[in-house]
Amino acid sequence: MATSELMQETAVRTKVVEAIHISKIFSRDTFEVRALDDVSIDFYEGDFVALMGPSGSGKTSLLNMIAAIDRPTHGQMRVLGENIFAFNDQEAAQWRNRVIGYIFQTFNLIPVLTAAENVELPLLLTRLNKQQRREHVETALKLVGLGDRMTHLPKQLSGGQEQRVAIARAIVTDPKILLADEPTGDLDSHSATEVLEILKMLNEDFGKTIVMVTHDPHAASYAHVTRHLEKGMLLRL
Amino acid sequence: MTLTQFVAKQAFRNKRRTGMTIISIGVSLLLLTLMMTVWRAFYIDQGAPEAALRVVTRHRVSLAFFLPGSYRNKIRSVPGVVNVVPMSWFGGQYKDDKPENFFAQFGTDPAEAVKVYGEWNIPPEQQQAWIRDRAGALVGKKLAEKHGWKIGDKIILKGTIFPVDLNLTIRAITDADDAADALYFNYSYVEEAVGWAKGQDGMFAVRVDSADDVPVVSKAIDDMFRNSPTPTKTESEKAFQLGFIAMMGNVKAFILGISMAVVFAILLVSGNTMAMSIRERIREVAVLKTMGFTRRDVLTLFIGEGVAVSLIGGLAGVALANVLVHGVANSPAGGMMRGLSVTPGTLVVALTVAAFVGLVSAFVPAYRASDLGIAEGLRHLG
Ligand SMILES: Nc1ncnc2c1ncn2[C@@H]1O[C@H](COP(=O)(O)OP(=O)(O)OP(=O)(O)O)[C@@H](O)[C@H]1O
Ligand SMILES: [Mg+2]
Repeated sequence: MATSELMQETAVRTKVVEAIHISKIFSRDTFEVRALDDVSIDFYEGDFVALMGPSGSGKTSLLNMIAAIDRPTHGQMRVLGENIFAFNDQEAAQWRNRVIGYIFQTFNLIPVLTAAENVELPLLLTRLNKQQRREHVETALKLVGLGDRMTHLPKQLSGGQEQRVAIARAIVTDPKILLADEPTGDLDSHSATEVLEILKMLNEDFGKTIVMVTHDPHAASYAHVTRHLEKGMLLRL
Repeated sequence: MTLTQFVAKQAFRNKRRTGMTIISIGVSLLLLTLMMTVWRAFYIDQGAPEAALRVVTRHRVSLAFFLPGSYRNKIRSVPGVVNVVPMSWFGGQYKDDKPENFFAQFGTDPAEAVKVYGEWNIPPEQQQAWIRDRAGALVGKKLAEKHGWKIGDKIILKGTIFPVDLNLTIRAITDADDAADALYFNYSYVEEAVGWAKGQDGMFAVRVDSADDVPVVSKAIDDMFRNSPTPTKTESEKAFQLGFIAMMGNVKAFILGISMAVVFAILLVSGNTMAMSIRERIREVAVLKTMGFTRRDVLTLFIGEGVAVSLIGGLAGVALANVLVHGVANSPAGGMMRGLSVTPGTLVVALTVAAFVGLVSAFVPAYRASDLGIAEGLRHLG
């Protein structure tokens, strides 16, 4: 694809994430850690971006900024046009519930809840009634191929299935943005491929903007773009 | 699933630990409810309204000493006094000396006693029969049921204090709580049979015309006999019973002390468990917040969990206390406890304590967990 074509295409697409000179500095006793060092990056609607980089390079920190989970030392972040660092605790929480789906390396399902109940959790914060919640949960679980595992507890599921439940939980409120922090890091290659196929489907068929942290080139190959972080700095394309 | 169901499931995620917490809170609340019930009965309850109008005059030194029979009319002359009857402990044996056959027996003057003890509420024909028969007996309903007595039955009480066996006929039965386990008979039976008992009464039950006069009348009676060889002590029926337990030590301080220790102990136990249980979920809290739960949501969930667990324990403890008190109150060995019950007030206080324990013990760990930054929580291992 020629550079001019790319520029033309990006120009008409909506800017979903706009990180502007983001720095995150942790001060330890005597020295400072620059988890993020003047990172500026834009993500557009429908992007599927892989973030790579060595351990400690700031990948998780960047995802946390986008989700308004953490605040930068310097810099601005606009997500879907909103200045997310201006939110207070409650506004940020409500906004995350609506806009962000977060997928973790370690699934983080609640052990005493069934698959369906785990997926339902984010909906408990919405105005949906019981019937509507049930429909959303079913849709989400079917989408990840687990329509028949609604009443299973996490310990009755395989790792790959657990991660698919976690994906269902992340998409159940129909958020525009999915953030995945090494989603295949704890999975065997077969389960990893299943999970990546699902992410691809969510990106292509449902237009989700996906930012995925990964160490795995195979996983990164599912993304349209791969960006590299090193020592908190974003490497040029 | 609703948020409430979510809390319930989380509360039982470690069944054994939650079970232990519920049991320890339950046992503590059981103890607390029993303490409060005893406290209430002895220090707050005024008993039947009739009882508020009664004072008891006894020997100043000891219950074991008799009062001269002539005191009856002297007491009657005190302004505010309406009726005076002797109440003399007979202490006889029924059938044998087995404890289960023991019950209180008082020699009195039936004709006037029914005026002093209005709450006996005896059917008129039975009352007439009892007053007319000098060897008649009035018995509490529970006592009669226990021994299978009916009106007209004859029983023998073997004297232990007085050298006489009483051949009594059951003439009347009362369902008053205060008399449930007691028998009353005409004291002149003993006086006629035992020479030295004549004119010797154990104590006097005095009816005063208004509850407000009780202190004044009591003082007037005692003042009258102050310098005689047989001084008296007059107090309300309630105070009389209290004096009885006071012999066992400082019951009030004892009850208070135990209750406070109990509450403190459950606070520690339940606080420790809640802290443990919440500390395990640091990461989970961060995950919930990532989904959109606010700090306050998390705080509410955890406190709800603590209060729920405490309340379950509290309910179990209170229910058990209720059963126990009911059992003791209705058993022949109930003694001073007979007629006791766990009042709704006590119940509310006990459950409030349980809820309070849950709230306080969950608050500190819950607040800490809810306050931790999400990024930090997510990095937390375990
Ligand atoms: N709360 C904190 N206090 C101090 N240093 C921190 C804190 N959080 C992150 N860091 C540091 O910031 C840097 C970036 O961390 P981050 O978790 O973003 O890295 P990462 O790229 O996700 O690494 P990994 O691949 O191991 O997950 C690391 O050096 C890390 O030690
Ligand atoms: Mg990371």
